[in-house]
Amino acid sequence: MSTSLLVPQHVAYIRALSGDSKHELSYDLSAHLRMNAVYWSLTALLIMGHGDALDRDEMIDFVMSCWDEEADILSLQQPSGSFAGDAFGETDTRFLYCAVNALSLLGKLDKLDVEKTVAYIRRCSNFDGGFGAVAGAESHASRVFVCIASLAILDRLDEVNQPTLFWWLSERQLPNGGLNGRPEKLEDVCYSFWVLSALSILNKLTWIDSSKLEAFILSAQNTESGGISDRPGNMPDVFHTIFGLAGLSLLGYPTLVDLDPVYCMPTSIIENMGLRKGWKALQRRTS
Amino acid sequence: MDLPAEEEQPLYSQRPEWADVVPLEQYESVAPLAPIFYTDEYRDATNYFRGIVKSGEMSPRVLELTENIIRQNPGHYSAWQYRYKTLMALKSPLDDELQLMDELAIKHLKTYQVWHHRRLLVQQTRNPGPELEFIANSLQVDTKNYHTWSYRQWILAYFNDDALWSHELDFVESMLESDVRNNSAWHHRFFVVFQSGVRNGDEDRDAVVRRELAFVKERIAIAPNNASAWNYLRGMLDHAKIPYCELQAFVLPYSLPQPPLGTPPEVVDLESPLPSKNSQLPCVAAVEFMADIHEAAGGDDLVTATELWKSLANEHDTIRKRYWEYRITESLKTKSAGDG
Repeated sequence: MSTSLLVPQHVAYIRALSGDSKHELSYDLSAHLRMNAVYWSLTALLIMGHGDALDRDEMIDFVMSCWDEEADILSLQQPSGSFAGDAFGETDTRFLYCAVNALSLLGKLDKLDVEKTVAYIRRCSNFDGGFGAVAGAESHASRVFVCIASLAILDRLDEVNQPTLFWWLSERQLPNGGLNGRPEKLEDVCYSFWVLSALSILNKLTWIDSSKLEAFILSAQNTESGGISDRPGNMPDVFHTIFGLAGLSLLGYPTLVDLDPVYCMPTSIIENMGLRKGWKALQRRTS
Repeated sequence: MDLPAEEEQPLYSQRPEWADVVPLEQYESVAPLAPIFYTDEYRDATNYFRGIVKSGEMSPRVLELTENIIRQNPGHYSAWQYRYKTLMALKSPLDDELQLMDELAIKHLKTYQVWHHRRLLVQQTRNPGPELEFIANSLQVDTKNYHTWSYRQWILAYFNDDALWSHELDFVESMLESDVRNNSAWHHRFFVVFQSGVRNGDEDRDAVVRRELAFVKERIAIAPNNASAWNYLRGMLDHAKIPYCELQAFVLPYSLPQPPLGTPPEVVDLESPLPSKNSQLPCVAAVEFMADIHEAAGGDDLVTATELWKSLANEHDTIRKRYWEYRITESLKTKSAGDG
């Protein structure tokens, strides 16, 4: 059990996933997750200040090899205002966020029907203040993040029933310090990002008992292989590694790089693109 | 352990009946980053999948191939999509497909594609009744599965048939009987009662609210420290625009450290059922609720609200200390605005 962040071990863990060693992966089973894994790995390394640990040209080549000239993000918007993820047609607010995020990074937000998009997000808000994957679905912290972050990008945070949502988010912290995704469920490290980012965007991050949450995230590190798992004692994976690190960065953990909670990318990149919104993280501690 | 059928089969590259298909490797020109060490079976099957996608083949053997891939990797959404297109092109019997999906869904309950495929099939078969039974069975395995509950809501809303809706309250009640803390079940109840229109027999909305109040109070009495039940209560009061103070008589005993003395146990007040024996008191949610009642009353009640929030911050709900301190600060702002 560790009480400090094992940066070298996590860097080594991520490098091993990339094929540096002949380590067999049990987590990533398909090319569809590979793009996710590249993003999670790169962002995790950047947060730790080791963005050069993976080959930059190889990553760019890989991403560009997945380029589809014909695909059009805007064509994935449904009449309801929701977004499908692909031609298979499943709709979910997480795809809505991906679309809004991507369009804003590409400087093409003006092409989006903002009212239609915001109207759909509104329909996904529930009686308890949270947001679900589709209209009518149960509130879930991951969908609170995607809806709040989308509204932040669209400058429409005024849509949110703030007192109820604030309360719902603060209720995610359990006495053991970890965060859950919905009432009466277990804590999981990844909610360190989904919940924290929403609170950060809403400027309420100070409500979290940060020392207890930090202790929880650090206790979920794997001291042998590196990497972070969903909770102490389980196998690590790159998904929980990046979101645990993202949570620690927002909490002001020393030596980590500042992270933009709207985009889950380093703040410097987002600021250089002129996309920074009015969120607040905790002050970075020096020790 | 049973071996899946495909492990006993030769690779597609070794099957003469597949010799006419040109398999395509995943990496044509790019050196792989993060190379994944696929099994031979998976690489072989997906090579042949890429081959038939390129040629546009939609045939029974494509159904066999896509089933093979889905069994190895239920997240392969391209395989799902192509399978669906093939089923449509072949006019395959969709009830058989649903039966196959019954088996896969149980194994891969947390996979989005399994549920979306079902949605597509049921939109074709227009036979939602058996789906509700299927959903109930899968929920026995994983009672809070997000996709399963969302799929149930979709079935009900999409077909919007009174006959389908009519058993929902019983269904939710049975799920809550197994686990009164099932947040998905509580959410579903709210969806059925308050967010899906008014059905025959439920036109008297006041009666509906009275029924629901009795229901949630009873469940709170059984297990007071249950966030989901209290959220349901609040949501319902907000929806029906009932001020929280109307629940004061019910909530007060839950906000106190001791069970009330002198109440004969055999007398049950249906309006205000008391906390069950062995309940851990005070119940944090009840203290919060009482604080909200006093806050809404304003004036001198704000002092009481502040005391209650302090008790939460310092004693009963210390993990949320800063949130409770925020509530105190906010109410002081309101107070001084009122005084000024």
